[in-house]
Amino acid sequence: MRDQNDNEIDDLIRRSTHVEVPAEVEDRLRHRLAEFRTRVERRQSSRLRSLVYSLTARPAVRVMAMAAAALVVVAVGLVLIPRSANASRVYAAAAQQLRSSQSLEFSIVFNETPYVGVDFSYAAPGYQRLNCSWGIEVRADHTAGKQIVLMHLTRMYVAESGKQVQRLANSEDLLEQLLSLPPSAEEVLGERQAGGKRLIGYRLPNATLGTSFPGLRTFDMWVDAGTRHADHVDIAIQEQGKPVYRMYIRNIRVDGQIDQSLFDLTPPAGYTSITAPGAELHANKPAPVQNALALRAQILQSAAMTAVMAPMTGSYEQTPAALQAVESYLKTQGVTPAGPPFGRFESERNWGAGYPVPPGTHVDAPFQFASLPSTLVASVVVKGPWGPDSGGRWSAFLKSVVEQGYLPAGPPMEIWSGDDGKVQTQSTEMRIAVAKAN
Amino acid sequence: MNDRHQQYERLIAPIESRMMRAVWRVIRDPNEVEDAFQDALLTVWKRWDRICKHPNPQALVLQICINSAHDALRRKLRQGRWLQAGAIPEDIPDSSPSVTQDISGAEQGALMLRAIGLLPKNQARAILMHAVEEVPYGDIASSMDCRESTVRKHVARARAKLRTILSHLIPAVHNKEESSHA
Repeated sequence: MRDQNDNEIDDLIRRSTHVEVPAEVEDRLRHRLAEFRTRVERRQSSRLRSLVYSLTARPAVRVMAMAAAALVVVAVGLVLIPRSANASRVYAAAAQQLRSSQSLEFSIVFNETPYVGVDFSYAAPGYQRLNCSWGIEVRADHTAGKQIVLMHLTRMYVAESGKQVQRLANSEDLLEQLLSLPPSAEEVLGERQAGGKRLIGYRLPNATLGTSFPGLRTFDMWVDAGTRHADHVDIAIQEQGKPVYRMYIRNIRVDGQIDQSLFDLTPPAGYTSITAPGAELHANKPAPVQNALALRAQILQSAAMTAVMAPMTGSYEQTPAALQAVESYLKTQGVTPAGPPFGRFESERNWGAGYPVPPGTHVDAPFQFASLPSTLVASVVVKGPWGPDSGGRWSAFLKSVVEQGYLPAGPPMEIWSGDDGKVQTQSTEMRIAVAKAN
Repeated sequence: MNDRHQQYERLIAPIESRMMRAVWRVIRDPNEVEDAFQDALLTVWKRWDRICKHPNPQALVLQICINSAHDALRRKLRQGRWLQAGAIPEDIPDSSPSVTQDISGAEQGALMLRAIGLLPKNQARAILMHAVEEVPYGDIASSMDCRESTVRKHVARARAKLRTILSHLIPAVHNKEESSHA
């Protein structure tokens, strides 16, 4: 029976918290709901849809979104936890060790050959580091609310602080779950010898595993019977009508010495700061007509190209003006463009837009003659108007590149075709130089 | 009209306003509420199939919103970004009405949220669902995947802790009630 004290405290809570949502805030949240509704109604079955949504949920810095999503996958893989049954002292000891750990390192192997994986490091209270095999590294200090994303192939970085860091902070919650493994597993798989160690396997029950990762079939944790440390985890995923997909958690190290320089947020010497290209440029165009989630990069050899470019610094919103300037210049020179306009976006300190022209075209300052050699590229053409979700499109595109075993090896390019006045004719090719992953 | 559309109409559309309110009541920061709400939607998306099969899907969705908002609240506290309220001592030295009656509604709200942020997760989420969203115990238990008695314990413990932390507020409320009755 509720007593007076309960009513009193409940009333106080209610009075203190019952406030109306301001109209401006409600508008923004309703916009989020509308986006969410669209995604729900277009939802497709895929074992990676959670990852894809993570990649495209917020049009933030695209590469950072990709790396952050990889972190989510890492953590989600580890979060598929049982809540039941048969006690096992060996498993319980391993789980207890994880729960009480102050530092943790492991590798997620998505593909053995070519190797595609992520090395993850965590140190209490809030230091995290991801090192992706495709050349992206994320270092985060959640105690200070800062993080840095390093793109080693292009020697660029994105430094974030405050609100944007909270995107990665989501991983804290997942990590908290990893660090709160249940004390018992349901099924003992048996023993096997590996690397001079006697390992005991524990299968975690499907009933709870499938809730966070649709299609998950098995989550098998192998524990070293001698040390009672978690050795590795084998994960199998299969959706209806699709082949089994396997991924592994390897090299689990609990409470080991972690080099604190791994979490250093200072940009390495020679790295330049970047921001997301394209987002501002396309901000005022209508909503997308092609689902960003469906993008699949094609790997091909690009044709060599020569072009007249306007070298630019500052906001990408200047792109239309830059193209207009190049177009006017070419008219005065009597040069006909050999193809549609394009932009190359290395950073806001160094980018350019222009038109392909025949080789040998004379160019006067401030314009530049650029020669782009034939190279291996990833490419996809988005038909129709581009829409506002530039980050989401690039994230899906880069994810598709990585899934095919390639790494970005150059600045992003966008090639725009069609008539500005006719939506049906518009298309944008996303293109980026790539290299085969080792 | 496809299945997904019908599912959305059945599960989410009727509680859209409640979802927004649930997050706003805990966050109250226009800059942060959008991220917390988006996180909640992401979780709903990831668990969509489970939600569709859940015996009480709307309570589960509300629980997800509360969890996301509460996570954001805890992050805010951890990072020392609590702007509205001054430091609240663990032991309240002075609980006399003369001090507490001056507390404005806004300050009271900030103090309450901070106190809720200091509670253990399950207790905070249970009390938010029960006292703020007024969800029945049985539905909370269903959404938290535990027994109703467990929820009642969480709520009772949360009340006890809040009563201690906010002991300087409760007499003031009492006095206001008395004066209004008079």
